[in-house]
Amino acid sequence: MEDLLLGIEALEFLKKEGFPILESRITISEETAASYAKDIGFPVTLKVSSKTIIHKTELNGVKPFLLNEKEVRSAFNELVHTFNTLGRTKDINGIIVQEMGKGLEFIVGVYVDSQFGHTIMFGQGGIYVEAIKDVSFRPIPIARKDAKEMIQELDAWKIITSPRQKRINPVMIEDFLLKISDFVETHKNVEEMDINPVFVSEKISICDARIKIGPKNK
Amino acid sequence: MYYEKLNRLFSPNAIAVIGASDSFDKLGYHVMKSLVKGNCRQPIYPVNPNAQTIWGIKAYPSIMDISDPVDLAVIVVPARRVPEALKECGKKGINGVVIITAGYKEIEGEEGKILEDEIKSIAEAFEIPIIGPNTFGFVNITDGVNASFTYEFSLIKNGGVTLISQSGGFCHLCGFLAMEERMGMAKLMSLGNRVNVDFPEAVKYFLEEDEATKVIALYIEGIENPRALFETIKSAKKKKPVIAYKAGRSEKGDAASRFHTGTLAGNYRIWKGALRQAGILEVNSSEELIDTAKVLDICPFMKESRVAVLSSQAGPGMIASDTIESLGLKLSTFSDKTQENINHLLPPFAIRTNPVDMGPAWYSPETILNILKVVAEDENTDGIIFIAIFASANLNLLADMEKIIKDMEPFNKPVIACFNAPHGVWDDNIKHIDGKKGIAIIHTPERAARAMANLYKISLSVS
Repeated sequence: MEDLLLGIEALEFLKKEGFPILESRITISEETAASYAKDIGFPVTLKVSSKTIIHKTELNGVKPFLLNEKEVRSAFNELVHTFNTLGRTKDINGIIVQEMGKGLEFIVGVYVDSQFGHTIMFGQGGIYVEAIKDVSFRPIPIARKDAKEMIQELDAWKIITSPRQKRINPVMIEDFLLKISDFVETHKNVEEMDINPVFVSEKISICDARIKIGPKNK
Repeated sequence: MYYEKLNRLFSPNAIAVIGASDSFDKLGYHVMKSLVKGNCRQPIYPVNPNAQTIWGIKAYPSIMDISDPVDLAVIVVPARRVPEALKECGKKGINGVVIITAGYKEIEGEEGKILEDEIKSIAEAFEIPIIGPNTFGFVNITDGVNASFTYEFSLIKNGGVTLISQSGGFCHLCGFLAMEERMGMAKLMSLGNRVNVDFPEAVKYFLEEDEATKVIALYIEGIENPRALFETIKSAKKKKPVIAYKAGRSEKGDAASRFHTGTLAGNYRIWKGALRQAGILEVNSSEELIDTAKVLDICPFMKESRVAVLSSQAGPGMIASDTIESLGLKLSTFSDKTQENINHLLPPFAIRTNPVDMGPAWYSPETILNILKVVAEDENTDGIIFIAIFASANLNLLADMEKIIKDMEPFNKPVIACFNAPHGVWDDNIKHIDGKKGIAIIHTPERAARAMANLYKISLSVS
């Protein structure tokens, strides 16, 4: 049995494992969405949560930078309208109201290679990951030295260490990569994972993730 | 037990060639040529049922007919006859076998695969380590045993570099480059189809057992279980510098994946990270492999990354300096004492700070070498690039330097030199100086700088 965790399920799974997540709540009502947004604090992002849709942005399923209740309500209705028109309402299990992420966007991935087994990837994240291809890989488990070198190998290292970018402490990213490596060591049934984007500023927070879980006894 | 057998395989006391021949169009001829002309001092036993003598040496119908013990058998008979020959080797008590014959797993069709499985099970039953099949053989430069079909490998200088390759062609390329660049080698081999001696076994042997091997260079195309190789290196009882040239650099990821990670997980991207994780230095060309291995064999490690460039001509010194900096090394700032010493040796009409223009001392080998000596003692310098390019007026420069260097103490810091001249001018002096007193001569200033940068990287991980 293979299981694909997307949207709120992936976020809640990672939260349970102790990873830092942007505050996210799911709802099917405009009223509740508005009240969640007030609780979380503006600006917020609204996005569709689905068990089947992997690339939400391509379907206009993400509405970022919502500054007030009015914008949240209108974004909610737009999302409902978009997916009604697409005839894909059945693919949606709700709308996520999420705290806006701040900082640089990175991707942290896990992949099982036929020769190397479980590997970890770190790179520049966002929707252009595959266009930029600024990534580094290591077989899991990794040591702190590996985590450090993975970060330094990226072109983005120049941004991380730029004098204009004082908030990012690379050690925090190293800790995160080491935690993912440990997590995979104890969850060998994780067959593939994209944590993308993960926002890095003075803190680190996961914004979105997709996880492919294989059979338990693997 | 296994490593004792590998020891007998690579340093045999007696060698049999099964399929030896006197006919130039047979590989058995060329293997005999390698052993005989390569001045193998151990007894050689040609095996061929159809000849009395081969290469003037008494031939035997079967390996079973040789009464004395034999350590190594080189098999060059056609693929279908190899299993029988291997069985006889087992009965004879041979310690190791090289199977040069091709036509196994690497060819299309089932027959090759079936034959290879048969070889594997015979080798297992008799506990025989095998290099090959489908290899040109191996060459032990240290002990003068050329168990390959290319005699010319015997002309490689004796030294500390061992090349373990997945390709015979790459061994030929590097072997000939090694001759051209005067790189000293201990062993070179292609593992062929790796029936039971694969990268982990070979690397472990040369790390732990072979004293002559100081540096291991790997040429890898693709292996089934790379983690086993890395584990071997990590857990080895001895640390030696290991460098690797990885071919097959496709960036193609997992086409079936709908994830970003899978799409980007090209095999080479993972290899690159895995090599670095294992402390193996990746090189990106044949020249870089040769230069790096040679410098690692000859020069001491670097403490830090501060390099001095001393050049008899300003231009080549400048390009060495540019390359040094582009590769993340630093140009050293001499201590006051060093600078003062240089100022005594050089008149003020050239640049006397790093990079030093030794132009005014062009005619004086003593002065040039005195500058090298004071910079080698400089507390702020970890490595030196030392350049002298030929012009008619400095015809005797290298001959004179050679005489002085002979009586100098070895340098305790790496000195990478570039001495360039037309063919036939400085050749002998270059040959005599190269590898002595910790001086490695590398072809160009840029390549010298890159080799220095690689030496520094290895110094960080090995020393």
